[in-house]
Amino acid sequence: MLLSRKDNLSPAYDEHLQRYLFGRECLVEELPFSEEIIKRHVRKRFITLHPGIEPATDGLMALLSGTKRWVCRRCGNTDPREFGYCSCSRCGKTCVYCRHCLNMGVVRACSRLATWSGPAPERTSLPWRDSSRICEWTGTLSDVQEKVADDLDQYQSEGKSFLIWAVCGSGKTEIMFRALEHALRLGERAVLATPRTDVVRELFPRFKAAFPKVPISALYAGSEDKDPEAPFVIATTHQLIRFYRYFDRVFIDEVDAFPYHYDPMLEYAVLKSAKEKAPIAYLTATPPPVLKSAFLSGKLPGAKIARRFHGYPLPVPKDCWAGNWRKLVGQGRLPESFNQWVRAKMESGKQIFVFVPSVTLLREVTELLQKRGLARVAGVHAEDPDRHTKVMFFREGQIRILVTTTILERGVTISGVEAAVLGADDPIFDERALVQIAGRVGRSASQPAGDVIYFHNGRTLEMIRARRHIEQMNSEGGF
Amino acid sequence: MNGDRCLFCRKLREEPLHFRTLLSPETPPGLCRSCAGKLAPIDPRRSCERCGRDLGRLDGRLVHGNICRDCERWAGSGRNGLFGKNRSLYSYNEMMKEIITAFKFRSDAVMAQAFRKEFRTAYRRLIRDDPSLWIRIRKGGRLFRNDPSHVIIPIPLSEERLQQRGFNQAVLLTENLGRPITEALIRRSGEEKQSKKNRRQRLKIPRNNPFTLDPQTASSIAGKKVILVDDIYTTGATLRLAAAAIEPAAPLSIDSLTLVHG
Repeated sequence: MLLSRKDNLSPAYDEHLQRYLFGRECLVEELPFSEEIIKRHVRKRFITLHPGIEPATDGLMALLSGTKRWVCRRCGNTDPREFGYCSCSRCGKTCVYCRHCLNMGVVRACSRLATWSGPAPERTSLPWRDSSRICEWTGTLSDVQEKVADDLDQYQSEGKSFLIWAVCGSGKTEIMFRALEHALRLGERAVLATPRTDVVRELFPRFKAAFPKVPISALYAGSEDKDPEAPFVIATTHQLIRFYRYFDRVFIDEVDAFPYHYDPMLEYAVLKSAKEKAPIAYLTATPPPVLKSAFLSGKLPGAKIARRFHGYPLPVPKDCWAGNWRKLVGQGRLPESFNQWVRAKMESGKQIFVFVPSVTLLREVTELLQKRGLARVAGVHAEDPDRHTKVMFFREGQIRILVTTTILERGVTISGVEAAVLGADDPIFDERALVQIAGRVGRSASQPAGDVIYFHNGRTLEMIRARRHIEQMNSEGGF
Repeated sequence: MNGDRCLFCRKLREEPLHFRTLLSPETPPGLCRSCAGKLAPIDPRRSCERCGRDLGRLDGRLVHGNICRDCERWAGSGRNGLFGKNRSLYSYNEMMKEIITAFKFRSDAVMAQAFRKEFRTAYRRLIRDDPSLWIRIRKGGRLFRNDPSHVIIPIPLSEERLQQRGFNQAVLLTENLGRPITEALIRRSGEEKQSKKNRRQRLKIPRNNPFTLDPQTASSIAGKKVILVDDIYTTGATLRLAAAAIEPAAPLSIDSLTLVHG
């Protein structure tokens, strides 16, 4: 009698499973629970199962041409080249699988993705909510920043998306603090998504210092600061793929870096991780065309900040002809104009970024600079195993010249650094990349100016646009 | 699945235009030159007569004649049975390790198709099948490629592992040959993964053979030349156990073909 009563009172679902799956989306075979338990929850509708890969329902043309197209539910991949077929021994048929998100465990047409559809778990105590100040950042915002921070918070509280179009070095991160503090006080969950690991690693300590009482989780490949219960998550967009309708507010930093990854999966991941109708704040210096036109036509509320926080104008890039740089580097030489600039900078004790268009070129240029023995030189690219250490040494000033591909074009703030692009006419450097690179320079109030030089072999339209973009921002900022 | 992109690095392959490919609507899937260049193909003229190991990569002191030390030890162990020779396409290296990881452990099944052409060539060489139709006609030999005297048997996975992975990598590799496949072996569940064992553990004689012969197929093997297919030859223990399981069906010979010699 007693026993049966107790049974009725206990929740009909497993709390561990609830905590594990709430706000997430996993393959059924990934769940660390027995099949029997999962089946019971599915029957009682605490767990919803979805097929991993569904046929795409796009347009009449596809129907008429008879080509079969698929969508991967986990990563949103629709590229027919990124699906493979094999005779599957689980379902006994020819099964299609997604090749795009393989490194998270294969999703087949016969696999099932589980999401939690039962009640939300009770939050463990949220002590920071009661403290009078959640944000302990002591700096002050400029008048412009102040206004944007208020607008952002207000629009987000109303559940509306917001665009912050701010030049590099205008203090975007600090503008987020107010809206974030508000969200945390309400007990909401927020995420700051950015496409690059370096940016997560740079932002995490800054937020940690500003919100010392709040658990913050940093998610990127190889991260050690993971906390599944944290109300605030800073993550690379890749990491958000496993979340499902979890976050109440979304901040996307450097939103325009998406197309650089040529990867619609990242946008899909961010949208999937947010709750339906969760407000999204887009922060960028160079908004992509879609957001730009939505903002200019008034569909998307937003604000433009044309002045850096220290009140000095953006450094305007200079073009410098370098001849056929590709051929010269191939012959083991560096363009003379570039050489002179590097020597001058080293003599005046500056630190410099050298951006190059490709990894092969990066290796060659790094080696050539090292041979000249002017200073300590290192090269970093996306697959470099020592990438983080090298960036750290550069930050500390032990490395004087850092040769890099476009991976470090955003979000990395180093005081007093100057920048050169070797091969600015390469198609990989478009307007936005070039503006971002120029934005690396003059970040601190003590050294607000510095050289940005595009070494080229023929000026491209993108270079001209980038310069115009910066000049226009400067004139809007009142210079 | 179109083959204009590399199966491994997903970049455009930029295969040179060829008379054979000029009119074909689709290129067969494969690797790009830069990825294929990182592999270590085994030159059949410089490989161990028995296990197909690349002798060029081995210390000269371990080679006698054209046979490596391992094969001598196998011959001396009395456990070789009917097992004749093995042929492999590639030596194991970093690149191959990554490809195998993608293929087996990340379940990227289409990776098997990357080696279709090479696998076919190696098979023909193994069974000494002349590649060109013309030579066969001149010699008055068979016109048909499906040589009925050979039975191709992929090394199976246990039911458990098959469910886990969703496919058998050996079967996928065998499908490249475009010949009939006989799944004559059954593998018992519950043995430890070979890839988790060291050499001594692998060479130890297991108390009972994990492979058993499917009795229904025994009649189709009798008097035929058996070709076993697997993904990797490491110590040769697995293939010899499989051979031992087939032996009761009285095949004429047992040889094997693997993608990698590791």
